[in-house]
Amino acid sequence: MPAAWKFLSPGRVAPFGGVQWPEPGPASPGPWFRPPGREVYACRIVDLPWWLDAELWEVEMENPVSTLESQLVAPAGRLLRRIASWDASALNAYGAACALRVRDLAVGVLREEGRATEAEALGRPTDLLELARVARGFSTEASTRRGANLAGYLAESATRASQGAGAAAANIAANAAVSARRQPSAFDLEREWQAWWIARRTGLRQN
Amino acid sequence: MSAARPTDIACQEVVELLTDFLEGALDRKTRTRLEQHLVLCPGCTEYLRQLRLTIGATRRLSEAELPEHVRTALLDVFRHWREGA
Repeated sequence: MPAAWKFLSPGRVAPFGGVQWPEPGPASPGPWFRPPGREVYACRIVDLPWWLDAELWEVEMENPVSTLESQLVAPAGRLLRRIASWDASALNAYGAACALRVRDLAVGVLREEGRATEAEALGRPTDLLELARVARGFSTEASTRRGANLAGYLAESATRASQGAGAAAANIAANAAVSARRQPSAFDLEREWQAWWIARRTGLRQN
Repeated sequence: MSAARPTDIACQEVVELLTDFLEGALDRKTRTRLEQHLVLCPGCTEYLRQLRLTIGATRRLSEAELPEHVRTALLDVFRHWREGA
């Protein structure tokens, strides 16, 4: 059985269905959860960035388990344990890490365009809001479209990250990667990086 | 809001799809795209929350409980819906 995880809203509540998943015991799995007329969904590590929420749980899925583009689906599932290392602090750190990836991309593009001064200025801020402020200035001042685009992505990603909106910061980062590398596949590569960031932070391993 | 990935969905489309979403009438692909949008978009998530609250509140009302003036006003709105659209 492949390992699977599921993001839930506070209190083990399914974010879209609004139903509460039954709690596992201290050393035993929770009861099987089989929502009437619906299937249950969970993530492989690579799927995690698509479904961020407040709580992360390890789940067991009942066979037959099918793999979709960005999730697993099964007739029923049960919670095994909460991944305690995924908390508000982890979510904030994730958003910041994604925003800093955008900064690296923006700095690279500005350097390519011969705009070393702007690139250097983007490298200085240590605070997300200050980074967003500096980037916003370049998003309108940069003379070439790509540099301005990247600065715009950076301003938005850093702002969202500073607000604790890690999922949005990450999505912006994936779009920024497409703009920077000029390849649609860069989106999925950035999502992979994000997935492994979460796995490293929380100690998850895909079997 | 992002637009670089062709599968992305816009807020306006989400609003149009939410009733079908709540009724379980969306195909899996569309539902997944919509849910992925909700993860990113606090505005649409709040809209969905309010829609659920409204449905919950109106479900408790029967037609007989509706005051006559409210009934008339609502029917008037529905009759002129297309004219104002």
